[in-house]
Amino acid sequence: MAAAKEILLRRPVAATIRLTVPAGGARPAPPVGPALGQYRLNLMAFCKDFNARTQKYKPDTPMAVTITAFKDNSFEFTVKSPSVSWYVKKAAGVDKGSTRPGHLTVTTLSVRHVYEIAKVKQTDPFCQYMPLESICKSIIGTANSMGIKIVQGLE
Amino acid sequence: MLARNFIKHIPCKNLSRHHILRDRVRPLIFFTSSTPQSSFSISASLSTSSSSSSSCFTDESFAAPYLSVRIHCPKHVVDPFSEALLCFGASSVAVDEDIKEEDDKDAASGSSIASKEICIESIFPVHEEVKMCISQAANSIGLKEIPKFKVEMGDEQDWITKNQDLFQPVEIAERLWIVPEWTSPPVPEAVNIILNPGFAFGTGEHPTTKLCLLLLQSLIKGGEAFLDYGTGSGILAIASLKFGAASSVGVDIDPLAIKSASHNAALNNIPLEKLELHLAPSENSSSGREMSLQKEQFDVVIANILLNPVMELADHIVSFAKPGATTGISGILSEQLPNVKERYSPFLENISTATIGDWVCMSGTKRGEFIDN
Repeated sequence: MAAAKEILLRRPVAATIRLTVPAGGARPAPPVGPALGQYRLNLMAFCKDFNARTQKYKPDTPMAVTITAFKDNSFEFTVKSPSVSWYVKKAAGVDKGSTRPGHLTVTTLSVRHVYEIAKVKQTDPFCQYMPLESICKSIIGTANSMGIKIVQGLE
Repeated sequence: MLARNFIKHIPCKNLSRHHILRDRVRPLIFFTSSTPQSSFSISASLSTSSSSSSSCFTDESFAAPYLSVRIHCPKHVVDPFSEALLCFGASSVAVDEDIKEEDDKDAASGSSIASKEICIESIFPVHEEVKMCISQAANSIGLKEIPKFKVEMGDEQDWITKNQDLFQPVEIAERLWIVPEWTSPPVPEAVNIILNPGFAFGTGEHPTTKLCLLLLQSLIKGGEAFLDYGTGSGILAIASLKFGAASSVGVDIDPLAIKSASHNAALNNIPLEKLELHLAPSENSSSGREMSLQKEQFDVVIANILLNPVMELADHIVSFAKPGATTGISGILSEQLPNVKERYSPFLENISTATIGDWVCMSGTKRGEFIDN
């Protein structure tokens, strides 16, 4: 009981910050600078740490980072692989999804693409226990919501 | 809870327990910086206030304008809404956790709707359509109405000064202190390195900087020629001179780092002849790796950068060391060490490592003859 109380007191959370930062490319400039600077977090330490841990990704891959800032100006962060929508856009070779999803189809992807994306996403903590088929269905759902149709094979 | 991705806890002053989990290594690509500027000047005068010194080092990229948006969002959708905002164009989304106390009290007394809302601070690039983005994000998670929001131009001076305020004097070892420009040294008799890092890396707080400083302290006996590859704020180059090296050379691909290093050299009363600074070409520029530095010229070489540059530039970095000279490599995590060791084994022998937390500094002496792999 004393331990639990101690833990609560020791690490009160000031804020949760979500950011997109290119792999290996964190610099103390906007958006990292203002977002972290606002809570007096050590910018350089974050940049060095984030860059070191994302060395294995292709440079400029947009990584989703979630930072938990504590009241004593310390922080923790976790890094996730890019969102499904990013992979879908990249695979389809488009910059943005459709402005009217459901009505306007921008482009198409094959089931093979979906499978490849699902394999990468399966390494994410939240998808680890999901069967590949469910992940594929969720990717197809995301693609459809962006106006990208999935077809059996590309012509 | 989080199984396969990595988590890092960085406390403010000391390092405590932390855990990291990683995926398998993928092919390496060289890490580059942003486009370089064309010129810089050495400022020999000391600036007395922190605001004027911060203006020395801000250039277009740091003073870049951004939009600061406050959005009032219903509490129960904060998480999905934040994710959606990021998908639709926000650069960052921050949620204050502080509000909790007041909400509990209000809830007990039968509150108004306002307490069920939470305030999100979001940062957008200047050209982004904020209203469109917020409405799309709200739609995508099924919110009936667009949340109230307020857009302001970002105040860069605010976060820049806050960042500088964080810098406190750091004791690296007994009688070795790194002191910010605007503070007087706590221990005047110690070896004090005065720094204004600007936006270059190297305040002495980071484990890798500490490791390199300690390595340097053990290696410099007096009269050596030292090369700091990836000099950042110039901290290592300056430290080596304070320890008794004959001359120092600092190299970096970032012009801001060179600017910062020359400013710091002046702060420590180091004449130009003793500390040379070179701007190395980065991948974006057309020229090759030619610099006016001779090979096999240095007694001690240290490179504190990141895994990818350190692997890619191995031959290049070691080429500057005399045979038998010590080369130190840092900026790498303990799990990255085996790769670095393998990469440098043809060039270095007697390889030893020092560790603080997850960070490692590897050092070895240069072989007399190269071993062909």
